[in-house]
Amino acid sequence: MMLDLQSVNFGYSRHRKVLSDVSFSVRSGASVGLVGESGSGKTTLLRLLLGLERPTSGTIRFGDDALDPGDSAFMRRYRRAVQPVFQDPYSSLDPRQKVLDIIAEPLQSLRIAGPHKDAVAQALDAVGLPLDAMRRYPHEFSGGQRQRIAIARAIVARPQIILADEAVSALDLSTRIRIVELFKTLSASLTLVFVSHDLGVVAALCEEMVILEKGQVVESGKTHDILASPKHPYTQRLLASIPRMPD
Amino acid sequence: MSAQDLSIDRPARKHSLALSIGLALVGLNVAVALLTLFWTPYDPLNASGGRLEAPSLLHWVGTDRLGRDYLTQIMIGARTALIVGTGAVAIGATIGVTLGILAAFATRLLDDVMAATLDILIAFPTLLLAMLVVAASDSASLWSAILALGLAISAIVARLTRILAKRVLRQDYIVASRTSGTSWPGVVLRHVLPNIWPTLSVNFALQFGLAVIAEASLSYLGLGAPPPNASWGRLLQEAQGTVYTAPVGAIAPGIALVALVIGMNLLADGLRDVGDPTRGRSR
Amino acid sequence: MSALLSVQGLTVRAGDKTLVSDLSFSIGAGERMGLIGESGSGKSMTAMAVTGLLPANISVSGSIVLDGQEVVGADEKHLNRLRGVATAVVFQEPLTALDPLMKIGKQIAEPVRRRLARDGQRPSRAAIDREVLDLLDKVALPQSERIANAYPHEVSGGQRQRVAIAMALACRPRLLIADEPTTALDVTTQAEILRLLDGLVRETGMALLFISHDLPVVAQVVERVMVLRDGVALEEGAVVDVFASPSHDYTRTLVDAARMFDEALGGTGS
Repeated sequence: MMLDLQSVNFGYSRHRKVLSDVSFSVRSGASVGLVGESGSGKTTLLRLLLGLERPTSGTIRFGDDALDPGDSAFMRRYRRAVQPVFQDPYSSLDPRQKVLDIIAEPLQSLRIAGPHKDAVAQALDAVGLPLDAMRRYPHEFSGGQRQRIAIARAIVARPQIILADEAVSALDLSTRIRIVELFKTLSASLTLVFVSHDLGVVAALCEEMVILEKGQVVESGKTHDILASPKHPYTQRLLASIPRMPD
Repeated sequence: MSAQDLSIDRPARKHSLALSIGLALVGLNVAVALLTLFWTPYDPLNASGGRLEAPSLLHWVGTDRLGRDYLTQIMIGARTALIVGTGAVAIGATIGVTLGILAAFATRLLDDVMAATLDILIAFPTLLLAMLVVAASDSASLWSAILALGLAISAIVARLTRILAKRVLRQDYIVASRTSGTSWPGVVLRHVLPNIWPTLSVNFALQFGLAVIAEASLSYLGLGAPPPNASWGRLLQEAQGTVYTAPVGAIAPGIALVALVIGMNLLADGLRDVGDPTRGRSR
Repeated sequence: MSALLSVQGLTVRAGDKTLVSDLSFSIGAGERMGLIGESGSGKSMTAMAVTGLLPANISVSGSIVLDGQEVVGADEKHLNRLRGVATAVVFQEPLTALDPLMKIGKQIAEPVRRRLARDGQRPSRAAIDREVLDLLDKVALPQSERIANAYPHEVSGGQRQRVAIAMALACRPRLLIADEPTTALDVTTQAEILRLLDGLVRETGMALLFISHDLPVVAQVVERVMVLRDGVALEEGAVVDVFASPSHDYTRTLVDAARMFDEALGGTGS
C-alpha cells in the first residue's frame, strides 16, 4: 500500500471533531477521489496527508513507515514523494517569484542534485507550457495556465503521489476539462489522490473513490460500482442532486 | 473577474513624477550631507562674519548670533538629519521586522500578548519615549536620540510586519512551499519578506521623515544632538529669539526640514510600485 | 405586447476595454432565460447594466427597456423605483448581499415596507411581520420565527441564499435576476435551491434571467439560453436545441465538456 489510513480521528478540540474513524488505503498507481461537501472534513484529511497536522488518534502509513511530522529524516523523504496541487491558482503561486523559481523550489529545498533548469524545462513541457514561461511572473498567465505551473511544481521532483485539493474547481469549464485530461495523463505514471466536491470530475478521473460525510467515510470502492449502485443514502442523495444535461 | 475588469489603471506618470521629485529632494540632501564631510563654505564652529548678518554674496543665508555661517550649519544639519533618519529606521526595522515575524508565527496566547504590548508601546507618545530614553542616558547625545526613535519605530514596524506576515502566511503558496520541503526560515526569506517588503519599505520611508521631525523637536527642546553637531531643530530654537530681526535664520532650516520630509514621503509614494512585478494587477 | 425586458445594442466599456459588445435580447413576461458564459464573458456586466448597478466609471451605450422604461441614462431616483418593481437580484454569495449586523427578519421587512408604501399603504408592524414570516415559509425555511430573529452568520449558506430569495420576492418583481445563485453552494443544497427557484418562478409567474457558467444547472431552470464569450453573444435559442446541436464551436466545446463529465457519472441521472 502506498498510503494506508487506520481509524484516523482529528479534532481541533474535544467538542469539534472534524474526522472520526477514517480508514482507507491507496494502492500504488491508483487514482482515488476523496469526495465530500463543505463540512465533510476532506480538506482536513488532505492536511493530515500532507503532514501539516497530526491525527488526534489513529495512524497514517506511507509504505512501511508511519507518517510522523516530527521525524525530519522521514519528512524529507515524504515531501519528495508527496506533492500537492491546490484549488486557487492565484493564491498558490508566489506573485513575486518568476515561474522558474516557483517550479524549482522543491528541487532546491529538497536538495536534489542536477541542473535544476533542465528539470524545470521538462516539467513545463510535461504540463504543456512553453519554455519561455520560466522567465515570466504568475500574473502574466491565465487561471488554467497558472494551474499548469502549479502542477509543474508538483511533478518537478518526480514524486510518487500527487495530492490535489479541488484542483480544477476554480477553473472555467473549457479549461477544467483540459486540466482534468492533464491529471489523467499524469495519473498513468503516478498515484493520484484527488479531493473534490465535484463527483463528475472525480468520476471522469478516478478509478476509486471515498465518499465523506461529516468527517466519516460513508462509502468507498470502485468508482464504477458506486456510481452504478450507490449503497449509502448520502451517496444516493449526492448522485441525485447533480444536475444533468438535457437529452 | 468582474472586480478586475472594473479597475482602471491609474496613470503611471503620476507615480514616476512623485518618485522623481522625491528622489531629487532626498538626493540633494544626501549630496549635501556627503559634501560636508569634505568641504563646507566656512568653519562651522567659528565666526566667519559679523553677528546676525543678512543674506549676502559672502553668506548666502546670513550668519547667526555668534557670527557663524548659517548655510554651513544647515548643510551639516542635513548630515545630522540623514544619520538620525537612517539610524532610527535601521534600528526600528531590524527589531521591528524580527519581532513582527516572530509574532506572526507565535502561538495564539503569545501573539495576543505581543500584540497588546505593541499597542501600548505605540499608544505611548514617541517624543515622550524619546525624552525618557535621552533623560535616562548620561548626557544628551545624538546616539541616545537615535536609539530612542529607533525603539519607537520598531513598535510600529513590528505591528505592521505582524499583520502583513500573517496575511502572507495564509496563502496557499506558503503551504506549497512547506510541502516542497522548505524550512520555516526558508519560507520567511523566500516568500514572506519579498511579499511584505513593498508595504514595509513605504512605511520605512514615512518613518524616516517622522524620525527627522522628531529629532528636530528633541533638539529644539535641548535633548537632541549637543552643540558642536548642528541640527535643524537646534538652529530653529536658536533663531527663535531673533526671529523678527533675522527671520532667515528660522525660515531656512525650516525649509530644509520640510523639503527632506516631503521628499521622503514622495519617495515612499513612488516606491510603492517599483520592484513589484505585478504592479498592482495581482488579486 | 412588448417584452418585459428588451436589450438593444448594449455595449459596456471600462476605459478602452469593451466588456460587452452590441448585445441584444429580450425577455417576455413570465419567460425564463439563461445567460451562459465563463469568466470574462460579460454575463454579470449585462445583469448589472439591466439593473443600472454599474459604477460611474463604466460607460454604457445602447438601449435597455425594462417594463416600458429606459434604464440607460436614467437617473438614480427613477432607477430605484424600477429596481423594486421590475427586477430583483439574487447574487452568488449571499453572505455579502446581506447586512451582517441586521437581523434577517428586519432585512426582509425593508423591501416589504417599501413595496407597500409604493402601493400607497401604511402597513402596521404586525402586518409586515406576518408578511415576512409568509415569505420565509415560501422559501421553505423551517422555524421561520427563529430565522427571522437570527443574524446572517448564524444560518447556513443554503439558508442565507433562501433569505436572499425571500428578499427578492418581497419586492414582488416581474423579473428576477439570479447571478450564479448556486455557485457557492454544495451540490445537495444547490439542488434544493434550484427546485425552489423553479417552483417560485412558476407559481408567481415572474420572468427569470438566470446567469451561470454551469450548463446543466442552466438547463434545469430556463427554456431559452444565450451563450456569451468575451462580451459577444455567440448564439441564442431553446435550451434543448442549443445543447443538442450547437452552431458555434465554442458552445460545442462547452457542451462536449459538460457531457463528458455527465457521461462519466453514468446513466443514474433523471
